[in-house]
Amino acid sequence: METLRSAFDFSDFPRLDISIAGIIAIFLLVFPLFSSSAFAMATMIQFLMFSLYGMGWNTIGGYGGQVDLGKAQYVGIGAYTTAVLLIRWDIPFWFSMPLGICFAVVWSFIIGYPLFRLKGHYFAIATIATSLVLMDLFGVWEFVGASRGLEISPIKYHPPDFWRLIFKEDIYYYYVILCFFFIGILYVNGFRKSRLGFQLRSIKDNEDVARSLGINVHWAKIKTYAIATAFVSMVGSFHACYIKSIEPEDTMSLDISILIALMAMLGGAGSLWGPIIGAAVLIPLKSYLKEWLGAAAGLAGIDLVIYAMIIMLISALEPRGIWGIVEKRRRRKRQ
Amino acid sequence: MDILIGSLVAGILIGMILALVALGLTIIFGVMDVVNFAHGEFLMVGMYTGLLTAQATGMDPLLTLPVSAMVGFFLGVVCYYGFIKFLMRGPMVAQLLGTFGLMLFLRNLALLIFGSEDRALHHGLLVGKSFSMGMGVIIPATKLAAAILSVFAFLAIWLLMNRTKTGKALTATALNAQGARYMGIPTDRMNALAWGIGGASVTIAGALLVNFWSVNPFVGLLFTMIAFAIVALGGFGSVPGAFFAGIVVGMIMEFPGFWDFLTYTLNWDWMMDVPMTSFKYTGVYLAYFIIMVFRPRGLFGWKH
Amino acid sequence: MALLEVQHLTKNFGGLSANQDISFSVQKGELVGLIGPNGAGKTTLFNCISGLHPISSGSVVFDGKDITALKAHEIARRGLARTFQIYVASGDLNVEENVMVGCFMRTGSTTKAKDRARDILKKLNIGDLSNALVSELPVAAQKRVTMATALGSDPKLLLLDEVAAGLNPNEIEEIMINIRHIHDDLGITVMLIEHVMELVMNVSDRVMVLDYGLKIADGVPKCVAKDPNVIKAYLGERFVREHGKELA
Repeated sequence: METLRSAFDFSDFPRLDISIAGIIAIFLLVFPLFSSSAFAMATMIQFLMFSLYGMGWNTIGGYGGQVDLGKAQYVGIGAYTTAVLLIRWDIPFWFSMPLGICFAVVWSFIIGYPLFRLKGHYFAIATIATSLVLMDLFGVWEFVGASRGLEISPIKYHPPDFWRLIFKEDIYYYYVILCFFFIGILYVNGFRKSRLGFQLRSIKDNEDVARSLGINVHWAKIKTYAIATAFVSMVGSFHACYIKSIEPEDTMSLDISILIALMAMLGGAGSLWGPIIGAAVLIPLKSYLKEWLGAAAGLAGIDLVIYAMIIMLISALEPRGIWGIVEKRRRRKRQ
Repeated sequence: MDILIGSLVAGILIGMILALVALGLTIIFGVMDVVNFAHGEFLMVGMYTGLLTAQATGMDPLLTLPVSAMVGFFLGVVCYYGFIKFLMRGPMVAQLLGTFGLMLFLRNLALLIFGSEDRALHHGLLVGKSFSMGMGVIIPATKLAAAILSVFAFLAIWLLMNRTKTGKALTATALNAQGARYMGIPTDRMNALAWGIGGASVTIAGALLVNFWSVNPFVGLLFTMIAFAIVALGGFGSVPGAFFAGIVVGMIMEFPGFWDFLTYTLNWDWMMDVPMTSFKYTGVYLAYFIIMVFRPRGLFGWKH
Repeated sequence: MALLEVQHLTKNFGGLSANQDISFSVQKGELVGLIGPNGAGKTTLFNCISGLHPISSGSVVFDGKDITALKAHEIARRGLARTFQIYVASGDLNVEENVMVGCFMRTGSTTKAKDRARDILKKLNIGDLSNALVSELPVAAQKRVTMATALGSDPKLLLLDEVAAGLNPNEIEEIMINIRHIHDDLGITVMLIEHVMELVMNVSDRVMVLDYGLKIADGVPKCVAKDPNVIKAYLGERFVREHGKELA
């Protein structure tokens, strides 16, 4: 009960932050009613999805300080579980999504145990390796369509189908993911004030000190990794129903993993708002760059060139992310 | 039988070249403790350089190595002074993501300039020729030459690191940057040098590789991961480690050949259904993971 | 039965023997000082006891249980807490949050941990610093914070590692009051590494001396101060030889 109350309690944030967050929340709620652009809607849905991906990553990567670059494998597990269950056995989203989370979490425990014996870049590279191995495996596994992937054809079902999460118009998808988004924020808010949250932050500070305070470092990391996995898998399941076409190269590539990590890193790892800010900047940027520049003949790739330069600039100039800049300025003002 | 020997030989040959690829990574890591995600992209640059120089001048690609080396050195130094240097001030997250950004940048720049189609070499002294080793084993001449030249390049760099004054200064910085600084060794310049030499060695490898491996802007990632596996196995920072580990990884990559050999020898039908070729690279990734968990120091590593 | 019983503890780092065949015991309620020249192996001893370093040979028995092979967090959970001399922090947690981490060892509830943390901070006279970042505090306050954090876990034995290092005489006085409060009022057994002699000799029931990894003295402060081995360890053999008559 206490954790639930704690999740809704934002009182340790400055009033200004809460007000701005409130305004943005209202904006998000009414946005679809005012916008007629399908492109904008699609971008917003992507934004919400990646905010959630980033929030999940942020638990282990931001608060925990363990840079995980292999989250895409869990997008895959979530997406494929939902897709396969729907196509083969007509199992609706609301059953397959939790099941996907279960699979994902089990897998995360299996590889998490050896994985967290590593630290720093060794850990990061190992996470990449595991994700790529899984991607390769899915690419040859006939049961899930191997490299061709899977397709969900909406014609078979009768949209709007709330059970199976099959809709014709994006607006339905928008509100579903928006709900998840709010739940996600509440969860992370509760998490950072929970015992595990504190333990993680202590670990990030200094592992030896954390150990001498009775924290089982290995286990705390594994538990948090599982939480991050659950987030990612959940959105992965949504992804399957929304995009309706999944294949290993697209859904589980290294680029996706990095993108997920980037949300939090750019916005400010280790803060509640960080991943959301990061997603708010990166996703529209990526979409609009692609729209304006990517399609231009002979200029394939220029959108990503600019995108890459932005990543490079941020990591070189302000590694603590946008929120890091805000906090720095605030602290200076206090003094 | 010939499959077995063929695979063994192929594994060793490709392994020697891969060792050269990994060499750059291990030098940079040894000196600076930075993991360069863009390493494979440097290789890609080397491949394009080798290809284009050969096509432009009509010379045999194997003779264009010095050009690739210079390009690689230059690229490495520029990357250091222009970007990496600033990255070093931040936390590790920033470094990882920064070099990843560099990877994206180089990859898409190449895409922009060269387009996405595969390009391969069609001319050259050795293209299309092959040696027969007897027992039905055939080796493409380009591969053999590339492997031999790799070994030479490797030796040259090893000599540079261990017998020259500059090389020793570099090793000193790798072992203890602060101590080296007190001895008057300029860390900044050493870092840049590491990037230069690291860049050069991998672009040379690229120029050698392009003799029998077609290039497109996306080849980078695979080789980055292979390089990581080799460096991990051989020990981060160890030059001889990179060589032996390279050969081992080369063998792993030829595993489908061994699998076929086993399939025919043991005559188990189910083995034929396993699409081993798709798992070629999986083996490498798995190897990395297993090594890091059970023997993080690798074979020869001194830096952990 | 002693609260802490260390038998023939040896810790080798490769060829170097940081702790050699050290045996001692600490009774419940004692305040034991641990002194010795720099590099004598004092912090290493703490690290061995608290489980951060695996021991090369010997045994450690705490509160009746053999903790020699236990991991650091398991030992901490049994009631053995410690402070750290050099505190490298990434600056993420403020003072109150730091102490809360310690409190979380005994409770799963955030509110309870927060209340307990506030309580401890007040008792150590740093209640008003709750929201500050540890890295921005002056040294004296930082030391108090490390003590508060260790207290959060309600320990039976507290190992203090040079909490008076770098403090001026006033601050040393204050820290002495804190230490006395921990020992006398809270009833916690304390063992402290110190270089500041007035502090150690004044506050300890008993003092142990290490030199080059060996235990060379163990007794009441007055006797230890006059022990010729101790004097030799600090002042050097040559000095003692030359000024031997004056020191006797």
